[in-house]
Amino acid sequence: MWEIAVELTIDQRWDLVDRIAKETIEVGAYEPTLRDTLADVTVKPLTGIPFAIAVIYGFWMFFSGFAGFFTDGFFVKIFDVHFLPWIQSVFPGKGTWLYFIFVGDPSAETCFESFGVLTSGLFLPIGVVLPAIVAFYLVFAFLEDVGYLPRLAVLVDGVLHKIGLHGYAIIPTILSLGCNVPGVTACRPLESRKQRFMMITLLGVFIPCAAQIGMMEGLIPHLIGWVFLTLAIGYFAVGFILNKVWPGESPEILMDVPPYQKPTWRNIGRKMGTRTSHFLMEAVPFFLLGCLIVAVMYLTGAMDWLGNALAPALTGVFGVPEETVAPLVAGFLRKDLAIGLLGGIELTTWQMFTSVVLLCIYFPCLATFALMLKEEKWKEFLATMLVLVVTVFVFGGLLNLIGIGLGIA
Amino acid sequence: MEKKLSEMGYEEEGIVIKILGGLRYKIAGMGIRKGKGIKMMTKQPIKGPVVVTVDRSNTSIGLGLADKILVQVKK
Amino acid sequence: MGQANVGKSAFFNRLTGAKVAESNYPGTTVDFTKGHMLFQGEYVDLIDVPGTFSLQPKDKAEEVAVKMLGEEKEALVICIIDASKVERGLYLALEIIEKGYPVIIALNMWDMAKSVNVKVDTEKLEQILGVPVVPTVATRGEGFKELVSRMGQAAPVTIEEIIRSVGNSSRTHH
Ligand SMILES: Nc1nc2c(ncn2[C@@H]2O[C@H](COP(=O)(O)OP(=O)(O)OP(=O)(O)O)[C@@H](O)[C@H]2O)c(=O)[nH]1
Ligand SMILES: [Mg+2]
Repeated sequence: MWEIAVELTIDQRWDLVDRIAKETIEVGAYEPTLRDTLADVTVKPLTGIPFAIAVIYGFWMFFSGFAGFFTDGFFVKIFDVHFLPWIQSVFPGKGTWLYFIFVGDPSAETCFESFGVLTSGLFLPIGVVLPAIVAFYLVFAFLEDVGYLPRLAVLVDGVLHKIGLHGYAIIPTILSLGCNVPGVTACRPLESRKQRFMMITLLGVFIPCAAQIGMMEGLIPHLIGWVFLTLAIGYFAVGFILNKVWPGESPEILMDVPPYQKPTWRNIGRKMGTRTSHFLMEAVPFFLLGCLIVAVMYLTGAMDWLGNALAPALTGVFGVPEETVAPLVAGFLRKDLAIGLLGGIELTTWQMFTSVVLLCIYFPCLATFALMLKEEKWKEFLATMLVLVVTVFVFGGLLNLIGIGLGIA
Repeated sequence: MEKKLSEMGYEEEGIVIKILGGLRYKIAGMGIRKGKGIKMMTKQPIKGPVVVTVDRSNTSIGLGLADKILVQVKK
Repeated sequence: MGQANVGKSAFFNRLTGAKVAESNYPGTTVDFTKGHMLFQGEYVDLIDVPGTFSLQPKDKAEEVAVKMLGEEKEALVICIIDASKVERGLYLALEIIEKGYPVIIALNMWDMAKSVNVKVDTEKLEQILGVPVVPTVATRGEGFKELVSRMGQAAPVTIEEIIRSVGNSSRTHH
């Protein structure tokens, strides 16, 4: 790549560095401070593992508490008590198709059930997902800034090692819990093609983003733990299998662990700002569009036709009613919208659980899908898609069987 | 005494005497090289990585990689 | 250019007004970003790249940085070194100098270095290397005026010159 002739060997270069350092650097005595003690405590397994569990638990409590506070305590009241009755009464032409598209079901009592572009289409992104996004990135930006993530990576390395990955994989995984797009790009520091392929596949299939999690929190807070458990089992099971069948190397972790830093509010604020405005600009139009498409498909009969066509798979294999076809369609645009739309369908608890899990895994969002095409080779991309389809059928089928077996389907 | 890095105990210190194979190219830029002082900070269970200190920076190294680094341990 | 987590993106944001993500873990930046900065009265391109420990990339993110350096043969390189970890930063800086690039060195995280009681003699370092060396704190913008004003002094130097000047300075020293 370069023509310049004089190059040193590693040892020669280090010799030179050492000679320069001897002339210019003076390392004074230094008493370890609180920062160093914390750095020690949080990476040593005996103390670090309980600490990590506490951090994750705290993260979750803050997330669900914050999102719940704003969604239930604020937006639900505004939208369901004031906005919905108002728009239902002032929007002209009750009974016409225009009314159906924009306001939705005239008898709906909550914005979860109405399905209209201006009702569900506005309430879901702003009332439910926005608080979740803000809550997630507030904590996450803080953890990033402090420098906790590399320590978490060290602690989980052993476990991830069992499926051919290593501790660094936790960073793309957590990033993906915010949004799969930066999660997938963050796979680049993984050393081998095999690890990157495995990681992108696992992220795309099993990791729901903050928007989806927020929607679950709004819709099925009592089931969310089970959904996470199911997805985590899938992550490790599929990772284990891929590690066995996919050729390639699985290099071990080799990572710098930087010292802790005081978080700067300017930096956290900036990250929150960019991520929130990104969401508002990108997601809200898709929500409106998604609701529009679903409404139009209902009006033209396309949805019923598709529902009938997919009924054998939906009811036969997965044990969910054919009405779930509407969320499935919307899910190609936004998966959080899809989960939100489940709120308007009559489902048993088990069907709700199965549907949410299926919506999480059946398709990565459009943006992630496009990014996968860019980051993966063709063969890898096709393999990812194959894994996805097989997982959907195996998981959906198994869950249905378990439900039938337990008599709760 | 000579040991593999992976066999060093907590808080043990030593001097790197040999890095086997291509690894030495990979970690040259991280400051780990022949003749350098190295200190074990932690070891993780279930074959997890070691964390070592070299020149005031901490680096986490997988156990298999740590096998390839030989250290003259201080007594 | 610089090693992982030394503050390259913080630098880039300061100099261009961009909003690239800065985080305290290695591998925050995995792709390059171009921006513009004012230098000697005109706007020039500035590129933020992923961190790399050496010019032998060990993953895809480091590859982006090394490839960028190879493509931008006319570039002036701002070599960012963590002032509390000068040795390994110098290792990469020497590699870049060996390739013949004009280099200016920023000793970033000067505040951190101070807090762990590491002192760097910047004048002497400058003498030995023959390139400008400026202490900075990217998060607070300290040292940036000096850095920008001295960027013009960056010129290629040869390794022989550096080897010779280390020899000289150690002889006068002892
Ligand atoms: N104390 C202190 N912190 C700094 C300074 N410069 C940057 N930081 C912090 O160091 C961390 C790393 O900064 P980045 O700009 O993301 O580093 P980078 O070199 O771009 O890192 P990679 O993209 O991962 O290679 C962030 O948490 C910054 O806020 C500084 O001069 N002093
Ligand atoms: Mg960066």
